[in-house]
Amino acid sequence: MKHHRRSSLSVIFPIALTCALLMIGSSLLAQTSSGDSKGARKFSASAIQIEPTDPGDTPMPPEFRMAIYESLIAEINKTGKFQHVYRSGDKDAVSVPDLVTLHTTARSFKKGSQKQREVTTVTGSTSLTLAVHITDHSGQTLVDREVSGKVRFLGENLRATYDFSKKVAAIVRDTF
Amino acid sequence: MSIQNPIGNVSVASNSLRAARGRIWAPGLFLLTVGAAFMFLPALARGEAGDASQAAPSVVQTDVKLVLGGETIKRNSVGTLSVVGSSLKFVSGQSKMEVQASSILDISTHEDSRQDITGAAHFTAMAIPYGGGRALALFSHKVDVLTVEYKDANSGYHGAIFVLAKGQAAPIKKQLVAMGAKATVPLAEEAPTNK
Repeated sequence: MKHHRRSSLSVIFPIALTCALLMIGSSLLAQTSSGDSKGARKFSASAIQIEPTDPGDTPMPPEFRMAIYESLIAEINKTGKFQHVYRSGDKDAVSVPDLVTLHTTARSFKKGSQKQREVTTVTGSTSLTLAVHITDHSGQTLVDREVSGKVRFLGENLRATYDFSKKVAAIVRDTF
Repeated sequence: MSIQNPIGNVSVASNSLRAARGRIWAPGLFLLTVGAAFMFLPALARGEAGDASQAAPSVVQTDVKLVLGGETIKRNSVGTLSVVGSSLKFVSGQSKMEVQASSILDISTHEDSRQDITGAAHFTAMAIPYGGGRALALFSHKVDVLTVEYKDANSGYHGAIFVLAKGQAAPIKKQLVAMGAKATVPLAEEAPTNK
């Protein structure tokens, strides 16, 4: 009986070990490959122009659109990846040969309630999702992602736009 | 001889006439100058009054919070928002921003609510046991949110968000629209949506 138990353990243990090693190996391979792909997608540009948020069919209040636009300008300035961060319509941006342009289009928007959030702690969150496109001077797409911004517990509703802008700034850091 | 005398008399007469003319012209010129001055004085006064009315702010709101969009002003600064002349002016301490009404691309008002207890007091309130802090979150007040979209001298697009006491945003919007600011949603139509 004892011998039977020992033999079953000796069979199961190497199988489990092999499986664990395979899982670790595959995850490591995946990480390195994703790192390579990130490295391959690096672009360079001396200036970026931020376009105002297109609300699309989403009923997004104007203060949220403005907050996204202004927060994006502030956060992308902070990345230090560009010599100039131009506002939409800026005449000086026209003469920049390697200018890239950031477009944002609203996909979904849910305005929560600060009071509800703070009283219940589980409901009343504000969330927004926008399509983020970065194009080069010729109009070729460099980045095409959907990014969300949320405020779940503390803070005013407009804080969701700050969360969104921080995420976009992280994408810009990885891309340029 | 008889002929010479009248000539002499004529020359004397013409001299006296010239003197009389001079006497009439001098006060005439004086009267004309004074009259002209009196004529133009009301116009000048009106012009000055007009300038004075332009310089004096027509709408002034205190305790206004600039949430964001002030180039040189920090976010969430509290100051005075006014319509001075043909521009919107926000002053917070030493720093100020000014936007010409003609450069405003859109101006909108919206109603929202803000917590009565904010900042450090809010974090302190969170420490109250048995959900007391959460109960304090129930205390809030209605506010008006004024969003201004405008372009700068270089045609760069800007946005500024102001938070005012309830009912204070509409007069500012009305005044700015009257001065040439654009608004996609007219004030009259905005009232029902702001419930």
